[in-house]
Amino acid sequence: MRPLRNILFGLAISLFVTGMTTGVERFPPPDFVETDHVIPSPTSPGPRQDVYEYIDALVLLAALGLATYLILKKRSRRAIFALTVFSLLYFGFWRKGCVCSIGAIQNIVFSIFDPDYAVPIVVVAFFLLPLVFTLFFGRAFCAAVCPLGAIQDMVLARPVSVPDWAESGLRLFAYVYLALAVLFAATGSAFVICRYDPFISIFRLSGSLNILILGGCLLLIGVFIGRPYCRFLCPYGVILRQLSRLSKWRVTITPDECIQCRLCEDSCPFGAIKKPSAQWPEQEYHIAKKRLAFLLLLLPVLVFLGGWAGSGLKGVTSQAHETVRLAKQIYLEDNGQIVEATDASTAFRATGQQTKELYEQAANIRARFEMGGWILGGFIGLIIGLKLIGLSVWRRRTDYEADRAGCLACGRCYKYCPREHVRLKKMKEGSGKW
Amino acid sequence: MTQNDKTINRRNFLRDGLWGGCLATLGIVAGASARKKRNNDLVWQIDPYKCIACDRCATFCVLEDSAVKCVQLYEICGYCDFCPGYFELGATVLDTGAENELCPTGAIKRTFIEDPYYEYDIDEALCIGCAKCVKGCAAFGNGSLFLQVRHDRCLNCNECSIAVACPTGAFKRVPADEPYLLKKVDHA
Amino acid sequence: MVANSHNENNSPQVQATSSWYRCTVATAVLSAVFSIVVCAFMLMNYGRSKMVGTADETVMLDLKSEIRNRPDDEQLLSQIRQFDLLLRQQRIRAVNRARQGGYLLLAGVVVFIISLRSAIAHKKRPPSPQPNADQLKEQVGNAKFSRWAVTGGLAILGLGSLFLATRAEIDFARAGAADASSYSMDEVAKNWASFRGPNGAGISTHTNVPSRWDGKTSEGILWKTEIPLPGNNSPVVWGDRIFLSGADPNNRQVYCFDTSTGKLLWKGDVLGLTKSDEEPLEMMEETGYASPTVATDGRHVCAIFPTGDVVCFDFKGKKVWEINLGRPDSAYGYASSLASYKNLFIIQYDQGGVEDEKSELIALDGFSGRVVWKTKRPVGNSWSSPIVANTGEQFQIITCADPWVIAYNPNDGAEIWRANCLSGDIASSPIYTNGLVFVIEPYSKLVAIKTDGKGDVTKTHIAWVSEEGGPDICSPLSNGEFIFMLATEGLLECYNVSDGKRLWEKDLEEYFLASPSLVGKNLYLLSEKGNMFIAEAGTEYKQSARCEMGEKCHASPAFADGRIYIRGIDNLYCIGSSN
Repeated sequence: MRPLRNILFGLAISLFVTGMTTGVERFPPPDFVETDHVIPSPTSPGPRQDVYEYIDALVLLAALGLATYLILKKRSRRAIFALTVFSLLYFGFWRKGCVCSIGAIQNIVFSIFDPDYAVPIVVVAFFLLPLVFTLFFGRAFCAAVCPLGAIQDMVLARPVSVPDWAESGLRLFAYVYLALAVLFAATGSAFVICRYDPFISIFRLSGSLNILILGGCLLLIGVFIGRPYCRFLCPYGVILRQLSRLSKWRVTITPDECIQCRLCEDSCPFGAIKKPSAQWPEQEYHIAKKRLAFLLLLLPVLVFLGGWAGSGLKGVTSQAHETVRLAKQIYLEDNGQIVEATDASTAFRATGQQTKELYEQAANIRARFEMGGWILGGFIGLIIGLKLIGLSVWRRRTDYEADRAGCLACGRCYKYCPREHVRLKKMKEGSGKW
Repeated sequence: MTQNDKTINRRNFLRDGLWGGCLATLGIVAGASARKKRNNDLVWQIDPYKCIACDRCATFCVLEDSAVKCVQLYEICGYCDFCPGYFELGATVLDTGAENELCPTGAIKRTFIEDPYYEYDIDEALCIGCAKCVKGCAAFGNGSLFLQVRHDRCLNCNECSIAVACPTGAFKRVPADEPYLLKKVDHA
Repeated sequence: MVANSHNENNSPQVQATSSWYRCTVATAVLSAVFSIVVCAFMLMNYGRSKMVGTADETVMLDLKSEIRNRPDDEQLLSQIRQFDLLLRQQRIRAVNRARQGGYLLLAGVVVFIISLRSAIAHKKRPPSPQPNADQLKEQVGNAKFSRWAVTGGLAILGLGSLFLATRAEIDFARAGAADASSYSMDEVAKNWASFRGPNGAGISTHTNVPSRWDGKTSEGILWKTEIPLPGNNSPVVWGDRIFLSGADPNNRQVYCFDTSTGKLLWKGDVLGLTKSDEEPLEMMEETGYASPTVATDGRHVCAIFPTGDVVCFDFKGKKVWEINLGRPDSAYGYASSLASYKNLFIIQYDQGGVEDEKSELIALDGFSGRVVWKTKRPVGNSWSSPIVANTGEQFQIITCADPWVIAYNPNDGAEIWRANCLSGDIASSPIYTNGLVFVIEPYSKLVAIKTDGKGDVTKTHIAWVSEEGGPDICSPLSNGEFIFMLATEGLLECYNVSDGKRLWEKDLEEYFLASPSLVGKNLYLLSEKGNMFIAEAGTEYKQSARCEMGEKCHASPAFADGRIYIRGIDNLYCIGSSN
């Protein structure tokens, strides 16, 4: 019986491309005659137990409840800050920032469109709880619970105010980001929110260098411009903004009434304080009315144009899906435009699947991107149109108010209000009732 | 104390209506996504039949020390003297010399059982998931060495970076109570 | 209130706070510097492991391949072991450094943030709203600028989508209709992609081929290049590349030459059997170690050797795959050339006797080397090559051996028809023309079989049989009207395709090992001495030229646009002119 080594040398089969086995083993199982050796089994350490997931959801619920209480009832910036630190430590560094409510959007969308994927209940909770709380109480989630917001809040040292026009322009990006995230999640191409989460590598203390740099840059910017990700990038924040507009209870700068003392004007690092509106002269009013009418008529045009552009981009957006990329690679190779085969294309050819089938799959996926492009492009068009309309409508305001959509409920402005000080003094004096 | 503007006017009615609508939408979304029965979490795992041992598992994991390690399925292993997953193809002397070993970190331990059988174990602390041994074992041996995601290390990211980089799409989501996709024993 | 703030710095209370302030500022600066330094170290660590790490790996690979050549070199051995240890230590250190650095950086940044914020908190001034500017103008202005900003954003999005959407993208819906996974058969026909060119017919699609050259004066010979290892296989041409293989008892190689200069562009080694307990292969001198001609599909070139090694290279010389089918049991040594169909390479792997049931027809995928299909053949060993023929309605792979001539469907290897009409050592390859397949039984007969049958067509589809003898090596040639057979001893015969009637014969008085070729109306017959007989392919033998090359030739020539490529015993010749 020759040693097996020499047989192997004699065979010298080198399969350079596929390391797959077909399941049939070349060598028979060993027959231990001398020793009674027992063939061991490989270890299979299990993942994190389910109960911990449920605990996370409960902590989320508790944190949301506590945040709401601290913001609306207790009105204490210190306490909100303490809760923010806790959220950063628990949801950020302990749970390593995953699963987070922002990313949960993708899971929900993916499960709606993919028949094989069912989203875990905890993820649904992470998605819904902040939204429900916001619908009732305003953006308590953003204030003290979201780890991404928390880390940005930590570094905010020297707030610089962003001019209104820059704020309006930059926020468009968040809407586009949301649209893209939903599109890619619905087609099962990628979870872009997770992929480009800037702070995740800081929470994990390891990760791709590019994301680390992105996170570092955002934090550096965040030292001066308050919460840049939250205001201009966060796709979940987009949804929270709209729900917060409708909330039953909301943050008010003054605990009871506004005396227009103007002391809170520069207190918000996020530019979320609305000043009382000035009186409009007749002339301005007419121009504004005409502009409003024009913009209202423009709205459906923008929606249509947006949808059309979105569907036209299907060639580019569909590249996010790996099947389309593979089909493109195979096509270019087959037509001699690319000489180097990639691992993916060689592995595909080794499976024996017809290229025709692959092209069909790619065409189908493209069609889904086209449909998605219409819907989400129209959504962007709608948003832009509504934004323009919103900027042309004049709301009568006499008091200094927190912007319903933009206020992140951080509580920094409370101490600036003299009425707040009156309340605190009265409480300290023990008058009890407030 | 915060107070609502209680005046009944068109704007408030509209707002309340929208509010109710949003609440209802959230409920529908919750129902739609939770209708599929999901008992427990989903975790990532590698399908060993699709894996081509390309080495991306070692480099793309977000952890410095990749969560993907090689596992040895002893039931399939041939216990060969000359293990093509342990030794380089041209190895002349069957010892532990660096020039003879495939594994760059020396994570495979070779123990003599009885003639001519040797047992090969993997030291997970040293394994980096580079799949050189997997390639050798699959091409010349029984294929008992293959890569698997180890769940005591894996962070279970929502989107696995290795899954994105895998050229054959060998990463799939599996239920957390059956988190390993081991090869089936199929003695010829 | 405003006035008070100016006096802050002078009160003793403030003195104490200002030293606290200095302290926090100092901490902030120190921790910032510390963080930056740690960050720089981590980046260096990362950069080193990425760049130097990959260089180290290639050095290691080189060292390891070195040790294969000199296994007893003690110094090299210890060098490798030390280097390996060094690499492992470096890797572990790098991982540890990254982790520790991460913690340190985190700590540094946290301290920095805390000290920065407390420092800034100390410098906090009470709010001091400026005198009220024109509120109306400000708010109207804000709204206007914001509208313009949004419109600007809209414009950017619009322009961006316009730019991205108008880029050309592949239309997969239409791409799926045509299977473009390989060059079309028309493209293939323009080249000389396998033994005896398109369809294995030996007919050149280019008619502007030279008809005069002289080896002694080098007139008409564009270039001549030495071939490193010998072989009987014919040149294969695609575009500006010529492919050959060569071998000796220990080495097997595939070569690629440039058509315009004859320069050897690359040569690929076949690893194949290294050390083995199997006896080394010994081939008959006449057959040689590299008889089978290579084949190309326009993207890859595939070669097979009588050791059972099959290897595939891309046009740049990179080895794509290599497999071994097991040593073939062939009396004179394996010699069947490869055929190619779309992305498949077809191997006629005939072995042993009929009763051994070892013979197979194998199709390998050019991209991966995977066996796409494999069909058992009820024949014994043979030395003819398969051809891929276009019968008009379909492509058929036609093979001949003892005793069956079988046609297969190239897509799945299923038999289409078979005819029992041969015996002996079959070395001549079949040809197809006008709905008929012609096969030769050496020294015995020429058989014409109709290709539109199904199953066993022995009794029904044999059009005619001419039993006036036949060559033992050269394959036949037909222009649709006449069919020509060339015997090794030099006898050229011409038959009618329609009825098999012999029309004429001519003794050329030289030995012929290369199969005859047809260019336009002329026969090109290459003798063993290296002389090309050019004659009219008509109702009688009319020789128009006899060009001497000056070197012995065993291989059939290859034809291209204005060129002939001839493989001599030692050199590859290009007959043609430089335009």
